[in-house]
Amino acid sequence: MRYFLSSILAGLLAFPPQAFAAIGCTLNNPAEDLKYLFPGMTSYREELKEFGKLPNGRKAFEGLPARLRGELDKVYETYETAYTVYWIFKGKEKLGLVHGVNVPGQGGVIQVFLLLDPKTGAIQKFFFQRLESPAASALRAKAFRDQFAGLTLADFYKHDYYQAKDLKDPADKIGGITLPKTTSGKKDLQAALRGVRKNLVLMDLFVFGGMYEPFFERAQKVGVKALGGKP
Amino acid sequence: MLPKSTYNRMPWIFPLLWGLGWSLSSLPAFGKEDPFAGVVPQRSEKEEGTDFLTENFAFRKELMSEFGADSRGEVSSRQSVGFEVQKKFSSETSTLFSIDFQARLVRRDGFTDAPNDMEGMTRPGWSFEVHNAYLDLYNPLGGVGVLNLRAGRFYLPFGLNLATDTHGSLLQLSNEMGFGFERDWYAGFWGSLGDTNYDLYYLAGSGYDLLFKGQTGLGALRLSLGNRYASEDGMEGGFSFLGGRRLSMDGSGVETQRIGIDGRLRGAGPFGPMGWTTEMAVGRDEGQDLFTQLHQFDYLHASRSWGLSAQYRRSWEEAVADSSVSAEATWYLSNDVGGSNLQWLKLNVRWPLEVAGPTLFTLQYYQYW
Repeated sequence: MRYFLSSILAGLLAFPPQAFAAIGCTLNNPAEDLKYLFPGMTSYREELKEFGKLPNGRKAFEGLPARLRGELDKVYETYETAYTVYWIFKGKEKLGLVHGVNVPGQGGVIQVFLLLDPKTGAIQKFFFQRLESPAASALRAKAFRDQFAGLTLADFYKHDYYQAKDLKDPADKIGGITLPKTTSGKKDLQAALRGVRKNLVLMDLFVFGGMYEPFFERAQKVGVKALGGKP
Repeated sequence: MLPKSTYNRMPWIFPLLWGLGWSLSSLPAFGKEDPFAGVVPQRSEKEEGTDFLTENFAFRKELMSEFGADSRGEVSSRQSVGFEVQKKFSSETSTLFSIDFQARLVRRDGFTDAPNDMEGMTRPGWSFEVHNAYLDLYNPLGGVGVLNLRAGRFYLPFGLNLATDTHGSLLQLSNEMGFGFERDWYAGFWGSLGDTNYDLYYLAGSGYDLLFKGQTGLGALRLSLGNRYASEDGMEGGFSFLGGRRLSMDGSGVETQRIGIDGRLRGAGPFGPMGWTTEMAVGRDEGQDLFTQLHQFDYLHASRSWGLSAQYRRSWEEAVADSSVSAEATWYLSNDVGGSNLQWLKLNVRWPLEVAGPTLFTLQYYQYW
């Protein structure tokens, strides 16, 4: 019996690690949180997403730093990290999707959640679940978060261009966002903005079939210097 | 500026130049080129490589190596390999139910009463242990989140343990001290009513193994703060009620009544998050009054690479008191935020306070991935 159990466990441990999932950032209470976001919803469906299940998942993971314009965090952003997507329904109609990511802040973890349009991937709502930061109240302020409504990943890639060329342009919607004034929580503000972008990049890969890749590629062509990794 | 003579010869020149300038400046691309002109979102048709088995499926492995030594010279070893399987089953529009199964194959030599190994007292040598084995059925009566069904083996619905994963940690909460076990076999309901979460269950009251030896089992109700408080204020808390007849470790029935209060507060410190946990319960075992309490402080460095904890626990039953204080340091080799990719080295020291006993040192290596 012992030999039998040991054999089973040894066999299980021999599974390749990419076959297994690690839940990244989930809602604490999906039912309540989603009902708050969509009072008219009738059901929701959870989906676990992993790089290991994407076609060319390793290549997609290696391309993340260029899309995020920064190196990945070794604790928060690993190849094995899995992501939970919540699809919200009213009957059979898709009302939206909700997804959260963890980013490292100066005081601990920051969990950035986005509510996205199920067709365009545009942000409908941006909110924090966990926010261990001295700038928590400034970051949670509705006036700050509401500025992200309607933005897509394309706006972030366009912003890279305007930022690289040091241009001020009304077309640069990200550049037009009024950031909260905080001295003690500057790092957390940057982490939160990175969290929004990371969330959109991941959803573009996992859900929207790389819909905004043409904007990334154009940004690279017109002179946005690739940072930290292969574009 | 044009000379006056030019205006005299060509009086139409100023309106013409003004009109030309206005027209050009109003063109969107004048003076700058839109580098994203013509770029449109384009969806790839590649699909994820999932099927019924791999969709919403998680398999995790676990290794634990633990050594204990006390000031009386006793030593112990606890080595284990384990795994956890989680799977969610969905329709096209809804997650219907999920299963979780977590087990370990354990080898024990010697016993030193390590903080996370009370059951080791009766399990020398090899043993196969089932820690979690439960099914959650979501919204069987419709609605969303109001009523869910759980059946199987999981943490006791008393105090903070339902909201705390103590599977791998050395420091435990107070249920093992108060009842002799921290998980049981049970069935019942859980859900949210506005800002209040509830858990209502019937428990077998047998602890580690599902046994029926004449005990009536336990009824348990926990009412706790909605998750919004944890998200926005870093605050958890609740009241727990439990009563019935459970089995003690020696297999006899124990008439049990408990009322408990608990709370946990987490916040950002200057160099990383800190937390304070308190669990207190009063009640009776076979008519004898008792009072248990636990207070714990945790600090995690912002890098998530190391942390410190301290815990005080005390149990009092009919004038007999036992208490201890523990200090713990953890070095994390990996420390995923979701708790799903962990690797650490822990050193725990426990000093007895009211009853003469040895100082205990426990060293643990743990990996979960």
